Amino acid sequence: MTPAALTLRINGKTRTVLAALDDTLLTTLRDALQLTGAKRGCNQGVCGACTVLIDSRPARACLSLTHTCASRDITTIDGPYANIAQLQKAFAETGAVQCGFCTPGMILSAAALLAEKPQPSVEDIRTGLSGNLCRCSGYRKIIEAVQLAAEAGPQ
Amino acid sequence: MMNAGIAEPAELVNLAGIEELHGISSLHSGALRIGAMTRHRETAADARLVGDLAVVRAAAGQIANPPVRNMGTMGGSIAFADPAADYPPALVAVGAEIEVAGPHGGRRIPARDFFIDWYTTALEPGELVVAIHLPRASSGIGLYDKLARVTGDFATVSVALSVARVNGTCARVGLAVGGCGPKPVRHDDVDRMLLDANLDEHAARRAGDMLAKAADPVDDVRATAAYRRLTIPRMIDRIVARARAELRNAA
Repeated sequence: MTPAALTLRINGKTRTVLAALDDTLLTTLRDALQLTGAKRGCNQGVCGACTVLIDSRPARACLSLTHTCASRDITTIDGPYANIAQLQKAFAETGAVQCGFCTPGMILSAAALLAEKPQPSVEDIRTGLSGNLCRCSGYRKIIEAVQLAAEAGPQ
Repeated sequence: MMNAGIAEPAELVNLAGIEELHGISSLHSGALRIGAMTRHRETAADARLVGDLAVVRAAAGQIANPPVRNMGTMGGSIAFADPAADYPPALVAVGAEIEVAGPHGGRRIPARDFFIDWYTTALEPGELVVAIHLPRASSGIGLYDKLARVTGDFATVSVALSVARVNGTCARVGLAVGGCGPKPVRHDDVDRMLLDANLDEHAARRAGDMLAKAADPVDDVRATAAYRRLTIPRMIDRIVARARAELRNAA
């Protein structure tokens, strides 16, 4: 399909890009804007590695068409947003990162959870991260990292 | 479908700007209209889905995981008509009607007639799901129970039960099973028997046997057909017992 220009609001900044009508937000972020924090894992909405926040809610960039995201607020792992920096520190401190492929998605899902529930229970954390798969099986440390970030409170 | 290269549409039409496709509204009749593009997240949180309608809210809250519930819509889910999805049995149990629009105007199809086969609905070519209509909420009870390999998976077996009560008496019972054949499994006789017997244990057992017999499950990655047939009566026993207990507490 023929590309058309549109304006996106990403990480608080306005960016103008060219995107085909059938380009996904993931393609635009990674290939047009070089924001490669969102990962192309399954590319069918299952793994959660491409998770970004759209209007503060976790969403699959691989299942979002770029042109439907105009006028929405998009946050990637690069963006300043609520607890992202705090969570990054907590993930490093607890060793919640192994290969790192799932980490940006995990952190964005966790950031949205903490924005809604600053003191989540373990069950809340499990539910909040249930759309993000980690193939290194590091879930225990990931949950600890979110607890640590919650204890530290917002930055 | 597009990412996998299975569908390569020549054009795409974005329906998001059509206001009446979004959100849940209360009609004058007391019935609820759920726009086809209403997200699962919104449905799972709507305080009007109480009493016998709570089965729809419970089903919405058990779909997949938060990002999927932020994105997925009721219209999208039912038009796809995966028989292991959560809405089909819930909408059949509650007696929902599907409002569709097409080149020859609109029509309403009872949910029980909307799902007709594996991934197949009563939609004619050119027709779109516009909204889902739920009856006026009663003081009854609506329960949804899902057996799945992990939380958020499609159902291995699911059961949806909706009981409407008027003046303290059961007025309507709807029971449907998901994940056990090409479409939700239900029967008028089962609903009537449960109603007449006031959901007693004996009727629950008979309902389980009848729907296990009526089901047409297959062997797949989630379970064998035999396992599903074994599970249906047990899940029905359990959900009817829960309904009895909750109705007793409410009385």
